[in-house]
Amino acid sequence: MRNFGYFEEDYTRSLSERGLWRRTLGYLHPFRFPFAGAVLLSLVVTGSTLSLPWLMQQAIDLYITRQALSFDQRMAGLLTNVLLYGGLICVGFITAFLQVVLLEWIGQSIMHTLRQNLFSHLLEIDLRFFSKQPVDRLVTRITNDVQNMHEMFTSIMVTVFNDLLRMACILGLLIYINYKLGLLLCLFVPLAAIVTILFSRLARNHFRAIRKQLSKVNAFVQEIVSGIMLVQLFGRTDELQDNFAKLNDGYLKKTLLQIRLFGMFMPITELMSSLAIALILWYGGGQIIQNQLSLGELVAFLSYMRLFFQPLRELSQKYSIVQSALASAERIFHLLDTEAENQTSLQHGQIKLPSLTGELCFKNVNFSYLTDHAVLHDINFSVKQGETVAIVGSTGSGKSTLINLLLRFYTPDSGHISLAGFSLPDIPHNHLRREIGVVMQEMLILQDTLFNNIVLDTGKQRKEVKKLLQQTQLDQFVSNLPQGLDTVIGEGGQTMSTGEKQLLAIARVLCRNPSILVLDEASSAIDSKTENLLEQPLEHCFAEKTVLIIAHRLSTVQRADRIIVLDKGRIVEQGSHHKLLKKQGTYSKLIALDFETDKIG
Amino acid sequence: MSSYFHFYNVSSVKEVYSSFAHGEHLKPEKNTTDRPSLKKVLSLLGPIYFRHRIRLLLGLVALLAVNFLQLTIPRILKTGVDSLSNGAATQSSLLNLAFLICGIGVVATLLRFSWRYLIIGFSRHLERDLRKKIFSHVMLMDGSFFSKYSTGSIMAHGSNDLSAVQMACGMGMVAAIDALVMSIAAVFFMLNIHVGLTLTALLPLPVLALATRFLTGSMHRRFDRVQEQFSGLTEFARSSISSIRLIKAYTLEKSQAKCFALLGRKYVDSSIRVAVIQGLLFPIATLVGSSGMLLVLYFGGRLVILESISMGDFVAFITYLYMLIWPMMAVGWVANLSQRGVTSLRRIHLLLSEKSQLLPGKEESQPKNTFFELRQLSFTYPRSKRRILENITLSLTPEILGITGPTGCGKTTLCQLLARMYPVPNQTLFFGETDVNALSVESVQKHISFVSQETMLFSNNLRENICFGRPDASMERIIHAAKAAAIHEEILSFPEGYESMIGEKGVTLSGGQRSRVALARALLCDRPILIIDDGLADVDTETEQKIMENIAPWLKDKTVIWVSQRIKQLARTDRVLVLEDGKISDIGPYDELMQHNSFLAEISRRQHLRGKHNHA
Repeated sequence: MRNFGYFEEDYTRSLSERGLWRRTLGYLHPFRFPFAGAVLLSLVVTGSTLSLPWLMQQAIDLYITRQALSFDQRMAGLLTNVLLYGGLICVGFITAFLQVVLLEWIGQSIMHTLRQNLFSHLLEIDLRFFSKQPVDRLVTRITNDVQNMHEMFTSIMVTVFNDLLRMACILGLLIYINYKLGLLLCLFVPLAAIVTILFSRLARNHFRAIRKQLSKVNAFVQEIVSGIMLVQLFGRTDELQDNFAKLNDGYLKKTLLQIRLFGMFMPITELMSSLAIALILWYGGGQIIQNQLSLGELVAFLSYMRLFFQPLRELSQKYSIVQSALASAERIFHLLDTEAENQTSLQHGQIKLPSLTGELCFKNVNFSYLTDHAVLHDINFSVKQGETVAIVGSTGSGKSTLINLLLRFYTPDSGHISLAGFSLPDIPHNHLRREIGVVMQEMLILQDTLFNNIVLDTGKQRKEVKKLLQQTQLDQFVSNLPQGLDTVIGEGGQTMSTGEKQLLAIARVLCRNPSILVLDEASSAIDSKTENLLEQPLEHCFAEKTVLIIAHRLSTVQRADRIIVLDKGRIVEQGSHHKLLKKQGTYSKLIALDFETDKIG
Repeated sequence: MSSYFHFYNVSSVKEVYSSFAHGEHLKPEKNTTDRPSLKKVLSLLGPIYFRHRIRLLLGLVALLAVNFLQLTIPRILKTGVDSLSNGAATQSSLLNLAFLICGIGVVATLLRFSWRYLIIGFSRHLERDLRKKIFSHVMLMDGSFFSKYSTGSIMAHGSNDLSAVQMACGMGMVAAIDALVMSIAAVFFMLNIHVGLTLTALLPLPVLALATRFLTGSMHRRFDRVQEQFSGLTEFARSSISSIRLIKAYTLEKSQAKCFALLGRKYVDSSIRVAVIQGLLFPIATLVGSSGMLLVLYFGGRLVILESISMGDFVAFITYLYMLIWPMMAVGWVANLSQRGVTSLRRIHLLLSEKSQLLPGKEESQPKNTFFELRQLSFTYPRSKRRILENITLSLTPEILGITGPTGCGKTTLCQLLARMYPVPNQTLFFGETDVNALSVESVQKHISFVSQETMLFSNNLRENICFGRPDASMERIIHAAKAAAIHEEILSFPEGYESMIGEKGVTLSGGQRSRVALARALLCDRPILIIDDGLADVDTETEQKIMENIAPWLKDKTVIWVSQRIKQLARTDRVLVLEDGKISDIGPYDELMQHNSFLAEISRRQHLRGKHNHA
């Protein structure tokens, strides 16, 4: 079921907040120099922003109100000041621009690394993990969650630093200009801090409640829309509309609560700002009367105060970005912490990769996907070089599990699987999978030419592929496509029939020249035309290779050298088709009952 | 008054970003044939605005009052500074002014709270109402609608588009009003102080307007590109993860990661191209604002020196100019926001103006019985050319009718037409001797229960799922139905039995179990018509046998339409219909058809032992 990332749990705190920060910052490490550059740039921006009111104050005090000087002197002084002012504006403009671009570059690069790590890691994780995770959730990790963190790198890290610095600078400046008035204004700092912390706490709770409710609403809509036909047929529309209205109203209520909170907090900063202005006018004015302060300084105070309160207004919004980024970071790191597939005891490149041509042996193999729910019991069998073995059994008898174990998608609970004398865990899994060619029911088509789809990563030349296709009589299928091997297939390209896809899968596997061929026959949806198409290539395989088939078709079963019958995870019978039929055991019953799953159409 | 701006600036970027996380939302609507006019689109909001008119009016008053108070503070400051510079100021006069500012601050705080609560709250009400409207609308749609709008697209309408509209009608509206009022007032006061100086100060503003216009234009283009790449990235990740088994089997991990890195690189590059513009937009606004300030400093300073204006005027002038900078910066933001809002609203409007293709029928006509009659029924899906069903003539009375045929022959379509999921031409489908188009959809549907090919269960407990069609059913009946569908024992084996939740946080059901729950659900409805669209495909043969025996009494006197590919199931029917290429190729009792029908013969050939082992 797709979930579109519209509903997602919030930060669960299963990883500590400090740990999260440490790991997040770890990604920043390779970019420490550009980051330092960004910080430097932001210092320049802050510096120039803060100098502007100071320059204005200088202009007022030294020239505009200086009646003692001559008009020309005053104007000349003013002009110098203005030129300086203009210079600073330009510096501010350029540095601000550079800073934004630099930060975006850093943020995007980090995100790229993170996304890439995540994706590569994901592909390395054990299959067991994927059976439990909906695809869309994993996609959300790679896309939306990474995006959320990007926000933090670009709009939070530097600005928070910058904001704190700016506030400290302003206070320093104010104290420098007039320490009495400056210290008085420092009173606003603890006040602002208390209000902000209190607000952040409250805002977080609201933020979470809203997210949670919205997930509920979206999950509900998604489910109902997917099942709309049932809802309409079973006449439940009215009732579900009521349920929806309740959820929807709940969401409204929660957002209104949040608005109330924001409505209280946001004006409070404005109020503090008004109070500060009043204080400056009253106390600063008094200082002017006593000649302790100049008029220009008073104007500067007023301007700086405005700048002082600016970051506070943004703080709460930043806080919610941090919250959602932390929630995403937690989910991402959680995924990164999921263990990758067990590597082999042999190190890559340590020894020459062994040839895997030889006997395949399952010895006392037991396996379960979930504890206490065994799927395979005590499996013992071997397949000789060149033999064709069919595995049959009803659904849930453990056929596919055997293949999963052979490919080391899963590891047996106990017992031993060996190939050509090597124990499976000793073979690097990439090598193993290269040597075992699997034709599965599902199909992966890369959006590329047919040729590339056949070759994949084997690096085979065109000639070799052509020769191979000829040998296996697959060339006819290729010549049926408009541009032969160069036909682009996959999304947006040439569409292929089920049969053609099967043929591609076989060509692909043969191209890898595997030691063992594993065929997972389609249990349904094969028409006679396709079956005829498949006939000859398969014949070719059976003649040359060791083949293991999960069989659903009678024709295949009959052709196999040996049939292994699985029932509820145990091997109950083995032998040739005729021998087993005569036996009148599970196999013959299975043929009677189950081969009608061999559906048509 | 810059608060809203700062506050929402960050979130607007975030919102822009989050919206392109979902590819569905971004693909430009192909449907450009009938782009609804702006007036029509806005009429969607009209009634909602009207309903909340008092709330809005009060909010507006509060907002304007805040603006007014905001503008008086510089005037008070001016008085103070003037009195200081001409020496008339005393401690007590200053204290009075300070108290006045405090008082204004307190009143403004209250008013600010009010407008936030009233206007932003309104946008949330609006969001709620629209969401409800969308949901109710979708609930009434037929199959043709759902083949046009995927679940993902409906979700995108209901969340991303909706929040764009909400933003535009909440903060966007406030910012627009605010920018307008504040800039007019600020300019008015500035003119009041000195006309020439005002014109000088405003000189750089057109540059800002031009730059913003130009930059936002190319930003949109660059954004589109980023969005495209983002959905490419998403799609790639999705397809890789869903075929993880194959990727592992073919050891394609490295090459997939490489492809992904390539896509990621491209995405990064385009994102930086967007950042270049973003990086220009804000500094340009600051630059323009500061340039105005610079001009004021020089020429205003000159005027003070020449004693054309007072020092207090000068300070007040600067304060007004500060006030003007924010609305100017907000203009670009507001324009962007409202543009997005309108685009989204247009999409919502399009969705809401989709009509169910099923005719409403006449209230008074009621079916006389529950028999279907198909008369030369042909069917083509909307927006498709391929004819799915052709000239189907058939009457359905209480019996078990098996339907079989190759994939794509129209079996599922036939079932869906009977269940009134798609529109049919007049005089081709009759229910209870009445043309279905004259009947309300509900009056037909309430006689049908359905087991679909893809089992849909709701994330609820098992009991609720089984009694979905009959919420009032007694526990006894529920168990009875579950027993018939051979699922009772398995349900009891779950720790919480019938109360077990389905889904991630509860029990996971296998495909076979799911379809049996769905069968129990349909049986419990006990409606005269039962359609099973290959609903038992996942059930293994033994269980299937059991079910077939169990449900026989439930099917008595009912019209059962049973689509199946399994001979064993077909053999139990009264009649078998073979559908090929949308036409009835054969119909008749199973044994009779077995003699001559080539399709059945083919099944027979494959399921060879049929001859030796009689199907019970």
